[in-house]
Amino acid sequence: MTMPMLTVENLMASYGVVRALHGVSLEVNEGELVALLGVNGAGKSTTLKSITGILRPVKGSITFLGTEITNRKPEWIVKQGLSLVPEGREIFGSLTVEENLRLGAFVSYQRDRYKADLKEIFELFPILEERFSQPGGLLSGGEQQMLAIARAMMAHPKLLMLDEPSLGLSPAMTDSIFVLIKRLREMGSTILLVEQNAERALEIVDRAYLLANGEVDFAGSAEDLKRKVDIASVYFGGDDAAPCEVPL
Amino acid sequence: MSLFARFLKLAQKHSALPMIMIPVVLVGIGVNMFGSSLLLNVYTYFCVSLIMVLGLQMFMGNSGILNWVHIGFVGVGAYASGILSTAPLVKSMGVPNMFPALVELNMPVIPAIMVGGLVAALLAAIIGYPLMRLSDFVGVITLFATLIVFHVIMTQWDNVTNGPRTFFGVPEFTTLTVALIGALIALAVAYWFRESGLGLRLRASRDDRYAAMSIGIDVVRVRYYGFITSALVAGLAGGVWAHFITSFSPKAFYISEMFILLSMVVIGGSGSISGAFMGTVFVTVGRELLRQVEGTINNAHLLSFEVYGLTEAVMAIFMIVILIWRPGGVVGGQELRWPLFKRNKPIVTKEVEDGV
Repeated sequence: MTMPMLTVENLMASYGVVRALHGVSLEVNEGELVALLGVNGAGKSTTLKSITGILRPVKGSITFLGTEITNRKPEWIVKQGLSLVPEGREIFGSLTVEENLRLGAFVSYQRDRYKADLKEIFELFPILEERFSQPGGLLSGGEQQMLAIARAMMAHPKLLMLDEPSLGLSPAMTDSIFVLIKRLREMGSTILLVEQNAERALEIVDRAYLLANGEVDFAGSAEDLKRKVDIASVYFGGDDAAPCEVPL
Repeated sequence: MSLFARFLKLAQKHSALPMIMIPVVLVGIGVNMFGSSLLLNVYTYFCVSLIMVLGLQMFMGNSGILNWVHIGFVGVGAYASGILSTAPLVKSMGVPNMFPALVELNMPVIPAIMVGGLVAALLAAIIGYPLMRLSDFVGVITLFATLIVFHVIMTQWDNVTNGPRTFFGVPEFTTLTVALIGALIALAVAYWFRESGLGLRLRASRDDRYAAMSIGIDVVRVRYYGFITSALVAGLAGGVWAHFITSFSPKAFYISEMFILLSMVVIGGSGSISGAFMGTVFVTVGRELLRQVEGTINNAHLLSFEVYGLTEAVMAIFMIVILIWRPGGVVGGQELRWPLFKRNKPIVTKEVEDGV
């Protein structure tokens, strides 16, 4: 097997004295769509923040394309081809859609490629062409999420990380976001998807990691996870609910 | 899209600049031809203020950091340009303790103003390095503390600034024309800066620091460059101002003056050049009117006591009212645009019209 694109080994991170991750290990191979699932507070977002360098891990190592990226600055990590679409649609509300997209392209700005990229983005997200010169803050929630994804795509990331893209969206909009993620994957992007909506995520991903209390509880293919883990018990059963109904 | 249509679209997008510049020039010509000497002074002062305010907007408006120390850089530019261009004889009389090396310096006004700007930028490069790491109220309070440091140095270093006493004898250079040209250049530079890659990155970091980092923006670095550019404009403005007013003391570069600049930026809307411009217009006009009112009340002895500070008090209340009414300022964060006339009318159905 070839070397994984992203390797996270024994990652520990904390917010002040509160330890959020107790040794998380995961891998993403090129061309894969991998999900990181878990309830609120399981450590999903913390893992992504550590990978992108926004949060400094206490211990552990993160390797991307054979380069150690632990403790590097976020700007540097993005330039290596690792883009994050942050949780809660963090677009730049007072900047226009056009400016948001241009900012995304700054990582590898080339004037002729920018035009071509825009065309591609407009094919995927026709709504953004309509809203091109409007401030991002005036877009609806779903449109903002699309803009956030499009902005990350403009950087031509080798690995795209999406933090809860369906959070706070209407069911119809959630559907179209998932369709879009699937389409991106078919176009050859490598994606690490963080989701609370486990059942929806498992429909489209290749593999998944289930995080609980800052540790990887289960790792395997989407089918394995669906078969062996009672998703409902993980989400609703509280602490004493066994993550696995069937012995592994 | 035809070439002409594309040009129209581009012209409309950047229509804010001519919409500001043309009236500024026309009023300037009118004042120059028909205005009294008072009006001439007021308009020159307006143009110089505009340079300072645009310099402030470049950093504060785009980065969202309340930059108290801006007036300090204006002071640095004023003193540097004043020391460099004032005749040695005047300096040896006016500033008895000045370092001999400084007394002998003498250069024409324009290079002196340029050097003043560079000195301010250099100073910003030194103090901005640690300060630009700080955000939010920590960033504001440290910049405020830096202004106090600037003020103490200006009032105490009498080998350079003549201490708290007036520094006088600066050659007069800034006429209405000079100030007007300066203001036009500042408008173009500030507009260009806002639209440039650096300005765009700064505005992104203002909207959301973490999102900006996550798309590869080095927030500290763009702030640092923005701070230096803003200080350069402040220093140049200080030089232009010094050659207009010709004598000044450190009082001119402290909190009350900074408050005027801040109110100009904030009332108009710090997020845009149009806002900074409109704020400067409102505050300048308001200030002059209130000053006249104050003078009239005092001269006519309408009250048993003399009225002082009416201008400042009313301006402060005006600022509070504006900020409650429109937190983003009168213009807000977007540039003014020439209205498009082909705008589609919204479809209003009968029910909506009837209020059903």
